[in-house]
Amino acid sequence: MKRTIVTTDHAPRLYALVGSILGFFLAWAGIAAHPWAQTSSSAEPQSAALATYSRRLNADAALVALLAGRRKGASSVRVVTLPPITTTRTS
Amino acid sequence: MGTEVELLLEAEDSSLLADVEAEFGRLETVLSRFRSDSELSQLNEAGAGHVGPELLEVIELAIEARAASGGRFDPTVHDAVVAAGYDRSFELLDNDGAGASSVPVRVGGAVAIDRTAGHVALEPGYRLDLGGIAKGWAADRALAVLAAAGPALVNAGGDVAAAGRVWPIAVEAAGEEITLGLEEGGVATSGRDRRNWLCEGEPRHHLIDPVTGSPADGDVLTVTVAAGSAAEAEVLATTLFLAGDSRRALDEADLAAIPTVLVTSAGEVLLAGGLE
Repeated sequence: MKRTIVTTDHAPRLYALVGSILGFFLAWAGIAAHPWAQTSSSAEPQSAALATYSRRLNADAALVALLAGRRKGASSVRVVTLPPITTTRTS
Repeated sequence: MGTEVELLLEAEDSSLLADVEAEFGRLETVLSRFRSDSELSQLNEAGAGHVGPELLEVIELAIEARAASGGRFDPTVHDAVVAAGYDRSFELLDNDGAGASSVPVRVGGAVAIDRTAGHVALEPGYRLDLGGIAKGWAADRALAVLAAAGPALVNAGGDVAAAGRVWPIAVEAAGEEITLGLEEGGVATSGRDRRNWLCEGEPRHHLIDPVTGSPADGDVLTVTVAAGSAAEAEVLATTLFLAGDSRRALDEADLAAIPTVLVTSAGEVLLAGGLE
């Protein structure tokens, strides 16, 4: 009967272990650096500005509908040359 | 409401004037945001509660005005006005903006009104400032009482309600004299020529742009508007002021036929909405 004895070479295992540890720390450093942070912070002001613009457009659309539908002649007023009896000012 | 009131009545019996003056004093205890014991301040503090008929009516009016103005007129600007530094009656305001913050404050909170129950609930984080519209409303209300006795005019800190004859009303217009003859209705002015202050050297004023939550920018100094009532005039004047620039405000005034006198920061006096 013939027996084959397989001897283990430890060098490749050592290289694999060192490579794994190195890879782990490289990945860790990469994540810790937050490579996505710059993209996010530059997008936030744009997003806020877009939201503000959108709100203003919506408000203006409602206002234009109001103004266009408002009845004319709601008050009787004209510019006159009479001496004033009172004054309107910022309230 | 932190303002002076002028009452004019053409009638033999002037006893109504004292009654109306007393009524203004009473409304101060209901509608002022500067008095901690006012009904409005108590509602702002609690966030919700039962309110009297006057406060309920003015809140309803203000919320309707917010919807009608596309959100430009908004009574939930209270915290934004306070953040801008206007945190007490204007006569008591020191000019250093000590309480001011440069951080914009959110505006546009929900206000739930149950008219039948007389109950109002504010969205958490929002409080009401009824300043301008309360003055206009009070002027209209006082006029209704006085006008029963004869031609009358009520001027509540610049918000004017008049009836009975043509009342000549001066508009403060950058050195120019413009006088409007108002026969029936109201006149009001919104602007940043008064109720303004400095905060760390920067000029601030009380008119908040609800979109940004900060005092409004633009080249408009004042807008004076005539309408069917002083409260409506107040809402329209603020709405036009917050248009952002004078050209746009004038276009809107023409579009809706709102009689308007607009003064720009450069001192130009411009008429629109049928005035000439």
